[in-house]
Amino acid sequence: MQNLNLYSRGDKLFVRINIFLLTLFALSTLYPFIYIAAVSFSSGSAVTSGEVIYRPIELTLAAYEYVWNESQFWVSYMNTFIYTIFGTLVSLLIIIPGAYALSRPQLIGRRFFNLFVAFTLWFNAGLIPFFLNMRDLGLLDSYFGIIVGFACNAFNVILLRNFFEGIPQSFEEAARMDGANDFQVLWKVYLPLSKPAIATVALFCIVSRWNGFFWAMILLRDESKIPLQVFLRQTIVSLTNDEEFGSTLLEAAYSYETVTAAIIVASIIPVLFIYPFLQKYFNKGILLGGVKE
Amino acid sequence: MSQVVLEKIVKSYGEVDVVHGIDLTVDSKEFVVLVGPSGCGKSTTLRMIAGLEEISGGKLSIGDRMVNDIAPKDRDVAMVFQNYALYPHLNVSENIAFGLRIRKVDKEEIKRSVSEVAEILGLTNYLDRKPADLSGGQRQRVAMGRAIVRHPQVFLFDEPLSNLDAQLRTQMRAEIKRLHARLGVTSIYVTHDQVEAMTLADRIVVMSAGRIEQIGTPMELFMNPVNRFVAGFIGSPPMNQIKATIVAGVDGPEAKISDSVSIPLSRAEGLASATGQSVIVGIRPEDVLLEAAGGEPSVPLEVNLIEPLGSEALIHASVGGEPFVIKTPTHGDIAHLNDIRQFHVNVDRVKVFDEKSGSALYQADQARG
Repeated sequence: MQNLNLYSRGDKLFVRINIFLLTLFALSTLYPFIYIAAVSFSSGSAVTSGEVIYRPIELTLAAYEYVWNESQFWVSYMNTFIYTIFGTLVSLLIIIPGAYALSRPQLIGRRFFNLFVAFTLWFNAGLIPFFLNMRDLGLLDSYFGIIVGFACNAFNVILLRNFFEGIPQSFEEAARMDGANDFQVLWKVYLPLSKPAIATVALFCIVSRWNGFFWAMILLRDESKIPLQVFLRQTIVSLTNDEEFGSTLLEAAYSYETVTAAIIVASIIPVLFIYPFLQKYFNKGILLGGVKE
Repeated sequence: MSQVVLEKIVKSYGEVDVVHGIDLTVDSKEFVVLVGPSGCGKSTTLRMIAGLEEISGGKLSIGDRMVNDIAPKDRDVAMVFQNYALYPHLNVSENIAFGLRIRKVDKEEIKRSVSEVAEILGLTNYLDRKPADLSGGQRQRVAMGRAIVRHPQVFLFDEPLSNLDAQLRTQMRAEIKRLHARLGVTSIYVTHDQVEAMTLADRIVVMSAGRIEQIGTPMELFMNPVNRFVAGFIGSPPMNQIKATIVAGVDGPEAKISDSVSIPLSRAEGLASATGQSVIVGIRPEDVLLEAAGGEPSVPLEVNLIEPLGSEALIHASVGGEPFVIKTPTHGDIAHLNDIRQFHVNVDRVKVFDEKSGSALYQADQARG
């Protein structure tokens, strides 16, 4: 904490308002997590009667046991891992060389290609044409369709392109003088220098793949291929429509809310674990010492 | 044989020519410095030699090959960049070895070469450090190590010392000179610092606005500048340039600075026919006598500022309303310099330039080195 005595009265007020607003923002972001976690560990009756606010009431693992015993949960979980890992790898495999090419001043038609990529940020084909396209390509109901069909994201390409453009040209020139070709310049110089940007893009890919729901719901029919988010939706729909499940609510240790919350918690945990591993790359200064500006 | 020959080399960006057909031959083992103000085309010329810029016109040869259309990696040249361009994720050893690894040189050979280069440059104790952990001078040495480890035909230096402080620059300058003497590799060095140019070069190429103004040894350029630009660029402080008119004197032509002051140009036979011509008289700050040795013309001046440099002092003065700088020994005392009211011109060292074209009309003496 900085010494507030060094600030003027106006600055002190400004700092205090900032701290208040940021705390409010942090709490509003954190609260849904806390609430969902509390619900998942509470009894169904406690949740239904509205007793759960921020901590578990009538602590129980019943919801988790219910979810654990659903074989479809594990199938979907595995599918989500498959889509996330391979989807991210394929995305990086496409985005990195694409962004590098678009960042090179010597690329013929660079302006056109950049516009071409950026265009897709604002305009795309829309749901039905895209669905028809995927159908005609035979990519419905397949891992390949989900992994490759959504591999390239224009925003990530532009993000990485901008980072590459910020790397001093002299690194590339020095590598070229040393005998490196385009691929070697990218692999041996630009990639190691771009770890923070690549970590960011990778995280974006991971999170978007992990949370991928809409297109998976549209494109996948086969239960054995659906990801966790689609399973979650199916669970919510089936449990709310399940009269028998509803009729036992008052006595049950779990309700559809606690089961839903347990699935959500289970699906959040892997992403929470990834961030600390990537965080070390979110530091500036990787270029420090290499060039003198 | 590692001669570099530039024939009518042109560089254009769209309609704009930035290098206007320059001709230059750098002999094998020679150290040539391209010097000039910012934007004069010296770095562009160097980058064309490196292959980092396309050549718009003319012919470039390195050794016995024309290299206009040859990729940088195949030109057998190495370059030291102004900002070092060291790979920050690699340590010193890996940085120096980078080019050899790319070229798939045998691992043992790489190890031997790197340690040899580290020995030459005094980097042996730093091989495991990352660039961020090195001082400016050490980083610059690593950049040079990366260049020399490949044993190229030609070294190119793009203002390699401009990011170093004054003391380190002097030290590195000496190191570069020693390195060149030891390795004997043809070197082309770009700088805007005329002191670097004077101290390092076998020959200096003075450039301005994409053209070569003069090529010569440091002393040739200092003693016999071909025009006002070179006269003003080479020498520190630069040559004083005063407006004058050629008049007929008793012993021959004279440069009339004011009604009462004329400088005799007795040896300038070519100027006899130039009577009445407007010229610029060039007098170097160190070619001024504060006390007459015998018969030198005196010029009145008004002292504005004294800059003591230790053994010498710079006197910033006005001559006929125009700035004039004198460099004089102090002998440990500068107080008396404020009392100076006139100076005497060493007529043997005076230069005369045409006012319009700026070309030299008269060099009182000849180059001695």
